[in-house]
Amino acid sequence: MAPKVYIAGRDEIPRKVSLGAGEELDILFVVFPGADCSIEVDVDLCGPGADAQIRGLYLATGNQKVDIALDVRHSAGGCHSRQLVKGIASGSARANFYGRIYVAQDAQKTKAYQENHNILASEKAKIGTKPQLEIYADDVECSHGATIGRLNEDEQFYMRSRGIPEAEARVLQMISFLAPVAGLLPEDLANQVYESLSQCQD
Amino acid sequence: MGKVLLKIENLHAGIAGKEILKGIDLTINEGEVHALMGPNGAGKSTLSAVLTGRPDFVVTEGSVTFRGKDLLAMAPEERAWAGLFLSFQYPIEIPGVSISNFMKSAINAKRKAQGLKDIAPGDYLRLLKEKMAMVKMKGEFAKREVNVGFSGGEKKRNEIFQMAMLEPVLSILDETDSGLDVDALKIVSDGVDALRTPQSGFIVITHYPSLLESMKPDAVHVLKNGRIACTGGMEVAQKVQTDGFESF
Repeated sequence: MAPKVYIAGRDEIPRKVSLGAGEELDILFVVFPGADCSIEVDVDLCGPGADAQIRGLYLATGNQKVDIALDVRHSAGGCHSRQLVKGIASGSARANFYGRIYVAQDAQKTKAYQENHNILASEKAKIGTKPQLEIYADDVECSHGATIGRLNEDEQFYMRSRGIPEAEARVLQMISFLAPVAGLLPEDLANQVYESLSQCQD
Repeated sequence: MGKVLLKIENLHAGIAGKEILKGIDLTINEGEVHALMGPNGAGKSTLSAVLTGRPDFVVTEGSVTFRGKDLLAMAPEERAWAGLFLSFQYPIEIPGVSISNFMKSAINAKRKAQGLKDIAPGDYLRLLKEKMAMVKMKGEFAKREVNVGFSGGEKKRNEIFQMAMLEPVLSILDETDSGLDVDALKIVSDGVDALRTPQSGFIVITHYPSLLESMKPDAVHVLKNGRIACTGGMEVAQKVQTDGFESF
């Protein structure tokens, strides 16, 4: 099943979602270079066996400001949730990620994962990430990972040694970085993302 | 004797302020295969890094010309366009990028630099199939992500595959034979054989004489403490095998 795709600034991204027993949410948001945006999604898994997947990618350029806040609350037990947000900030752009996993005391057998990975593609761009786990149940499987990095130089040299020019190598690296999210998009939209990457230079 | 391909003169280079190469002189002519042996830390991989333009390595003295041009003044990609290729000792994984797309980008970048149009899709597919057959890779290989989940042997075969695709003039094989079983070794040496022309050259960095026996190098050099300590024929490789590097 493909996730439901939302383009920031074009589509209305669900703000608050509660999932009853066995209900599913599978959404993917895309932030293209351009206008500032603020994405807030609160999900409450309030019936047993509910499943939430929230994935997103952002490309912030120029003076763009991107704020992403995801709040996933496990009120009932036996639910699964996954958050995966990947993004690239270039120019003087600023991106902030806030993500919380809240597991209530009674929400045993919860499985909740959160990952946020970011690339700083310029000297002036700024990225902040604030992952939070609040767990009050004891029989749960939760993990989170957050990184802010630059494009890997070994990878870049490998590509350049094959004759791929620096700027193009950077774009390929960004494609590689975004693939786990962008790869889930319909092909035309994925291509639109990849074509926007040339704007994500210094 | 063919024309001079690569001329290294009094090359001093290092990384992070530490000098590793302390005056290398080496000339490779068209059609020649040179083997480079030496203990760990002798500078073998530093030499390949400097020749291919790894940004973190610094040349402090000396010169390198490749087909008459100042190699050290060229960007890594320009060196590739000029016909230099390095088979990496530790090939890099590129998740999300297929081998097919990776090689197409590389080939078209070179064509662009030469003022040519992109390769026609049909021609590219034919080239891909031909070179994949050469390294005994099956059809789905081209769709795989570059080196992701590859075994050690598959990574090395992928390097030889890329070498075959790019048809370099001078190839440096940096311990391509390390960790390979007999079959994979044969694929590597067959690949090199297929690419040997009277105009091409090879630098083969290795710890073992077995690859050299099939490649029949024109010269075997022993690198030690950043200098070439000894140059000769296959007898040098044999001496390394029996006596180790201590004797040089």
